[in-house]
Amino acid sequence: MIWTKLTFGGFGRRLVEAIAAAIIIAATSAVVAASLMVVEGARNTLARAIRQDRPDIVQVKSRFNRALFETPRSGNLPPLTVPVYEPLIDPVGLQKAAADHQVVERQSLFRNVVTGNSFLNVYIFGVDPDAERQVSSFSLARGRFLRREDRAVTVLDQASARALGVDIGGSFPVRKADGTDLNLTVVGILDGVELRGAPPRSAETPSLTPDSTFVSSGAFVNMATSEEIFGRNSLTDAFVVASSVSEVRDLVAKLQETFRLEPGVFVTERFSQYQRKVGDFVLTFALFSVISIATVLFAGSFASSLLNDIYAGRRQQYATLIALGLSPTIAIAPAAAFGLAIGVTAVLVGGMAAAAFVPRPFAMPSLMADLGPTVPTMDWVVAGSMVAIAIAAVFVGLVPTVFRLVRQPIAMSLPEVNP
Amino acid sequence: MTAALVSLRSVSKTYRRQRQTIGALHDVSLEVECGEFVRLSGPSGSGKTTLLNLVAGLDRPDHGEIFVAGIDVARLSVSRASKYRAEQVGMVFQSYNLIPQLTALENVLLPMIALRRADQRRARELLDLVGLADRSAHNPAQLSGGEQQRVAIARALANDPALVLADEPTGNLDDQSAQRVMGVLTSAVRERGRTLLLVTHERGMRTAERSLELRGGVLLSASG
Repeated sequence: MIWTKLTFGGFGRRLVEAIAAAIIIAATSAVVAASLMVVEGARNTLARAIRQDRPDIVQVKSRFNRALFETPRSGNLPPLTVPVYEPLIDPVGLQKAAADHQVVERQSLFRNVVTGNSFLNVYIFGVDPDAERQVSSFSLARGRFLRREDRAVTVLDQASARALGVDIGGSFPVRKADGTDLNLTVVGILDGVELRGAPPRSAETPSLTPDSTFVSSGAFVNMATSEEIFGRNSLTDAFVVASSVSEVRDLVAKLQETFRLEPGVFVTERFSQYQRKVGDFVLTFALFSVISIATVLFAGSFASSLLNDIYAGRRQQYATLIALGLSPTIAIAPAAAFGLAIGVTAVLVGGMAAAAFVPRPFAMPSLMADLGPTVPTMDWVVAGSMVAIAIAAVFVGLVPTVFRLVRQPIAMSLPEVNP
Repeated sequence: MTAALVSLRSVSKTYRRQRQTIGALHDVSLEVECGEFVRLSGPSGSGKTTLLNLVAGLDRPDHGEIFVAGIDVARLSVSRASKYRAEQVGMVFQSYNLIPQLTALENVLLPMIALRRADQRRARELLDLVGLADRSAHNPAQLSGGEQQRVAIARALANDPALVLADEPTGNLDDQSAQRVMGVLTSAVRERGRTLLLVTHERGMRTAERSLELRGGVLLSASG
């Protein structure tokens, strides 16, 4: 009870100044929190963009084949093979150009599967099982994913498996380039596929996301099986994962030089777009940081000044406690506790106001066009920053009083000094 | 002959105010023995309060040595000086210096809290000793000047200190209250066999065993 009274009691008219300081800190906290929430939201957006864009990945793809797939109208016509991209990329040349960077090879082709009296259009992707999973994501519902040493096995999406009437352990024939059939055994069923750099969907096929204009389904085989089916090792598309983002520019230049004489091969990167997003983030960060810092400086110094007045008014009391034998730390503790109570309460109120009233999603069209809508986010970074600012304001307000109590003789702070 | 509790050797103290140096004490040497009651008088500005503050460790001398109960008071750090005051010194101020938001009882408990041995029963006994048992729950604003000073005396005795320093304890009181406060102070200190160093500008006070006079920072006389 004594400590409660020492901390919060006996302020008299100074209580008005304490309330004013609390209101200022609360208003400051609200502005700073809102600004930091936008910065944090932009940071999250940028992090998401980095995850999705993968600026370290360079795509090498062949010309897209726009030829229409001719659907056989009777069972007498042979199955057709139509490329999704034309297989124009020489894997040896690509590997040489990529040097130490990781190459993710792919054969993205299209074939109709004839079983009995029915046929089905199916995208067939030859992939490197380990490397592909670093750039694309596969959600396995049942069974297992492909392995490099597999032969004539496939992993299918649920929609294609249902359409083909196969399940794990089942098989279906795929016509090879030499005219014979290869039976692919199903070892895994996928319920989600996010294929990086998926080709445009050019024909009616079973699909996990039917409305998508990009391919979201297919039969995945390893590169050895794919080469056996299509009878070639040239690639339709590939990714080169740079060792570091800073090396992307040189890597792109090298790849472009390698495929300079092949007009059907294109090298695309997302690094430039990523850099624009980084630039947008820096602008967002700078703008809202300036708002935060200016607010903190102006309002914080005012709040500190008010707290300083309150502490100066109590200095005689703190000096009396020290004169009675209490240690300076214990004597000043009520002052620090009072300031922190004011500061933390104000920060809580300000933070809640910011969280309640800040617009979401928040977007500045010209500044953050490339970042897209930014959702202001209240997290530990924002909360910690606000508490730190409140503590700093209290600390700055308390320092002159503590300095006088500790650095000057206590007698100077006691009432009615008459040497 | 008892041992000296307080010993000042060639103590000097000056203050600087607006580029002026004001001499508060000049080469003061003094010894006060255990259980002694010493009255220190002198006109306003003669250095009485400065001397008391130096003995209490609330200020530091420019020159000289101050020993209290064998402790070199002049060289104590701020926190060690606090501990020294809590253990060895009880202080009674002219303006009482009670904490206004605390009750009389809580004010008496404060020095005990410094030594982490708050004892409400003892605090009530001390308030009873100064005749304020029935006012323990009252705040200072609800007490008269004389009553506030008696609470301050109870507070000074809270940790049963070896030395009680009283700085013009009756300076703000009327004659009747002053007599009662002095009676309470001297009897309480004497009953416990403690040492009292009393600063006053009143020459008529005869209860002291020894009277000292300060003028212009110089200790002029010492009489038994």
